[in-house]
Amino acid sequence: MDIGVPGGRELLDFSDALVGDDRKTLDAARIALANSIGEETIAGAAAVAANFTKNDRIANGCGIPTEPMVLKATKEIRAELNLNGFRSAINSSRHFPDDM
Amino acid sequence: MGFYSDSNYKVRKDLDKVHENQFKNLGEPGSWGSGAQRIAIASQVREACYEKGIQERPGHSSNHDDTILPDVAKSLINKLSTSPKDFLQDSYTEAIDGGLTNEEYVEIVGIVSRVTDMDIFARGIGVELRPLPEPKDGLPARDRPLEAKQELAWVPTIPSHPEGGKLAEDLFGTGHKAYIMRALSLVPNENRMHMELENIQYLPVKNILIADYQHHDGLSRAQSEVVAGRISAFNECFF
Repeated sequence: MDIGVPGGRELLDFSDALVGDDRKTLDAARIALANSIGEETIAGAAAVAANFTKNDRIANGCGIPTEPMVLKATKEIRAELNLNGFRSAINSSRHFPDDM
Repeated sequence: MGFYSDSNYKVRKDLDKVHENQFKNLGEPGSWGSGAQRIAIASQVREACYEKGIQERPGHSSNHDDTILPDVAKSLINKLSTSPKDFLQDSYTEAIDGGLTNEEYVEIVGIVSRVTDMDIFARGIGVELRPLPEPKDGLPARDRPLEAKQELAWVPTIPSHPEGGKLAEDLFGTGHKAYIMRALSLVPNENRMHMELENIQYLPVKNILIADYQHHDGLSRAQSEVVAGRISAFNECFF
């Protein structure tokens, strides 16, 4: 799959493996990513992934809504990717049903 | 010697230092939890992740007194650590009905989120989980901010500046700020620690609207967003 970003497939595989339960798959994905876009990218990719595991827990743990401005701007892409189907969408839809 | 000097992959020095300090902070008395309680929370995060197979147990031990946490706290920690996509309002209500105050709840959410973050980073660069620090003596500060009020999150938050006053300006800067920057503000120190990681691991928040801003060596903004989006989709995080 070509997602139009250099190393895109390897970044997706690394992200999946990082939150998965198979260490061998993660080790292989890390090597594949290093071979694809350089080993200097490993710490940065791990840092971004880890940061969003934090943000996701904070957002879902505190029940925060998405800002109306963002909801309005993302209506089409949310529908396309079925993001409104995420259970945590209720934290926004209960406040801003007209923007969903 | 750096905090991640055993890594085969280069870790930027500022990130290395921030993580070292964040680990030390875990063992210090917090706003609502003692050092021992905070380390017990961090240890419980790890136990939950070992149990689910999403972290590997390191060679060093991290013994803690697991009787120090009430069952309601353990249940919250286990669920938020391992399955954030299943964390809905009933999980929050269960924690509050079970005896946690909103302030205690927010501090636990902050610690769970930070420990998960730094442990996943370690796993990402292929090193063992860092040892947890020994808890420090001392009492929690118990400093509930007067500015916090019930807005649209489950937990009270400090409004953006100017409504949130000087503390809001200190924590978030001026102007309207999204909830993700204010979610933990009922416990200001946890909010600061969250944003410190945000600025060093993702990008400095002041640069967030610069579409091609590059923060990490060799990783473009677009490549960073591929990772960010994939992780948030996995966790079914709508925000």
